[in-house]
Order: sequence, then C-alpha cells, then structure tokens
Amino acid sequence: MVATEYYVALSAILFSVGAVGFLTRRSAIMIFLCVELMLNAANLALVAFARQWSSAGVATAMNGQTAVFIILAIAAAEVAIGLGILVAIFRHRASTNVDTLSEVRF
Amino acid sequence: MVGFIILAILATLGAIGVVTFRQPVHAALSLVGTLLTLAVTYVTLEAHFLGAIQVIVYAGAIMVLFLFVIMLLNVGGGPKVDRFRALRPLAILVGGLGAAGIALVAFLDARPLPGRDVIDSALAGGGAGRVGDALFSDFLFAFHLVGVLLLTGIIGAVGLVQRRPQEAQQVVSEPTVEPHEELTHA
Repeated sequence: MVATEYYVALSAILFSVGAVGFLTRRSAIMIFLCVELMLNAANLALVAFARQWSSAGVATAMNGQTAVFIILAIAAAEVAIGLGILVAIFRHRASTNVDTLSEVRF
Repeated sequence: MVGFIILAILATLGAIGVVTFRQPVHAALSLVGTLLTLAVTYVTLEAHFLGAIQVIVYAGAIMVLFLFVIMLLNVGGGPKVDRFRALRPLAILVGGLGAAGIALVAFLDARPLPGRDVIDSALAGGGAGRVGDALFSDFLFAFHLVGVLLLTGIIGAVGLVQRRPQEAQQVVSEPTVEPHEELTHA
C-alpha cells in the first residue's frame, strides 16, 4: 500500500495547480473549473487521511469519507448557483471576463 | 506504487491541462480526465462508494452542467491582451512553493500506515453502508443542512435564470439578426 504522504503530496500539487489557474485565468468559467480542481484536491487529502486514521476506530475513520460526500453535495449546489450567476452576467454583458466586472466590487 | 505513480502523472497532466488550455471546452474535458483519475485513486484508498459517486456526480452531472453552459454561452479563448501577464511567473512561483511546502511537511511528518486488517475492519472498503451509517449518526445535522442548502440552490438557480417580461420580449426579437453574421463568427 502506498503511504499517505504520497497522496498528500499529489493533493498539494493538484491544489497548487488549481490555485495558479485561479490567479492567472481571466474567464469566469475557467476560474470555476480551477475552483473545482482545488475542491477535488482537498477531497483526495481527506480520503487519504480517512485511511490513515482507520486505527482510531470505525466512527473516526469514516469521518473523512463522509466529509467528502458532503463536500460533493455542496460542490453540486455551488456549481448550479455559480453557473446561473454566470449566465445572468453573460446575458447582460456578453462577456465572462472578470477584469471587466470591476463594478461588482465596492 | 507503480499504479499510484501512473495515476498521479495522469491527474497532474489533466490539472495542468485545465490551467493551460485556451479553449474552455478543452479545459473542461481535461478536468473530466483528472476527476476520473481521482475516482480510481479513491478506489485504491478503500473508498469504493466515493469512487462511484465521483464518477456519477462529478464527472457526470457537474461536468455536463459545465459543458452545457460553455456551449450555451459559446465562449472562446480569453482575450489576447492580459493586463497581469507580468504577475504570471509570480503566481506559478507561489503555487510551486506552496505545493513543495505542503509535500515537505507531509514527508517530514510521515507516519506508518495501520495494518491491512485494521484498515479493512474500519473502512470495510468504504462501501455505501459505512458512509450511510456515519451520515445518519454523527453527520445527521450536516446532512439536514445539506438538504436545506440544495433547496436554497434550486430556488436561487431558478430565480437567477428567470427572465423578466420585458427581457423576454427582447429575446423574441433576437432571430432578426442576419444569419450571415453568425456564420462568420462561428
């Protein structure tokens, strides 16, 4: 079996790639995709930690996997709302470039 | 170990594709590849139910929603002019440093895995039964909150995409646009 630290390293790589994409891409859809990538990196770490903690008993070991299940549901709701906002913005401005949305800020 | 290395390389390549592809459709399909690879990785981590859910919900439902919106909006590659191009190497440097730091801490604080029998008895392969047991006992409150969240999400999505009557009339007049113009754009 592969040790947990390798999975954590893979998770860190995926999260960093997602974060770099979040910082460098300008299209709102691409930013959304990068957020999904970061969520999945966190999920991978949680599943790896769940296996690492299996010596602490059934209830503690399943906490990680159940948290991933709840994160999946939240991600689904987040994508539905976010893409709805994106469609609404696109209908008014015909663009999803976040640089041109500067009036959203205070 | 060989299987993990293959999965890690595939997942990282998919992730880099998400960040580097100009076309959103290519990036979304690249993310689908990463998500499917992660589903296989969950199976190797004794989380079979989560692997199946990852394929069904993430690679299935969520990414179909993404591709649907990308095609609905017909967005191409971003603008060529980028005001923050000078900051791009800095972003990559920060990301690389962050990943290296987390991985370094993980390897410095490495702990031995519990035995095969301990993992099997605690996780039971991560089947739906064990996840359901945890969901309806320790996570019952979170489960209810997720239900409220999903209901709010449905109402919010319907409310956001709903058109007002005057907007709907504008849309009816849209097909009067010259068809040639659309062809040249495509």
